[in-house]
Amino acid sequence: MSTNPDLVDDDFFNELRKHFNDEEIVELGVFIGINLGFHTFFGSLKFYPLFSPDGRLLTQAESEKLYGEKPASLTGPVL
Amino acid sequence: MTRVAPLAREAITDPELRELIARGEALGVPGDLFARIIARAPAQAVPVMRAMLTSFTEGNVDHKLKEIIRILLARFANDRYFASLRSKKAQATGLTEERIDEGCFAYEDEAKGFSEAEKIALRFADLMYLDARQIDKTFYDEMKKYWSEAQIMELGSFMVCHYGMAMFMRSLGAKAAIPSAT
Repeated sequence: MSTNPDLVDDDFFNELRKHFNDEEIVELGVFIGINLGFHTFFGSLKFYPLFSPDGRLLTQAESEKLYGEKPASLTGPVL
Repeated sequence: MTRVAPLAREAITDPELRELIARGEALGVPGDLFARIIARAPAQAVPVMRAMLTSFTEGNVDHKLKEIIRILLARFANDRYFASLRSKKAQATGLTEERIDEGCFAYEDEAKGFSEAEKIALRFADLMYLDARQIDKTFYDEMKKYWSEAQIMELGSFMVCHYGMAMFMRSLGAKAAIPSAT
């Protein structure tokens, strides 16, 4: 849905249905849709996670340095 | 047929959800099909319907402008379902198909008569999912000349909600609810 929505086709749904029922698929779709929208908006506001991966409270400047420009989920684990 | 079938109306028994669905139908957005699909997950359906309706119909940003933004984003998401829906409230206050198209495709054209506030709000929507890197401090500083921070948050949250659900409906293979209006 986020990076290549054209791939979410009938074949994909047939595979998804092997693991999730309709209620769960709707739950996932709504969750992903909201997050897809919000993370782009939040990214434009330039605010960063309040905590480091090991649980330390961070300032926004420290957090920007740690997490960088791209979401960690798209760039791999933060070290 | 969508990839997840909508529930039959009579299968939706939660009174709160039924009331939200009725409000959505009266407004024309988010429409019957979307509501009956997400009703499959009732715990999600109530807050999502409420967020979509609240962000669209309440606040301090003109509803007609929000309607143009909503359609712009649905078109950008390539979602024919939401792109085909029309707010009856916006129509009743004079929003035409011609104005919607101008708002989606030609809002920077001085001859179309959009105010500077409307233009930057439409640019905000245009850039958000096209190239959010352009929505930087300079962009927000410019936007704050025309909109309060509360209005910017209202616009952003509204866009998030409606764009996210447009992407979801696209993934479900939803067709236009009104075939002539996408």
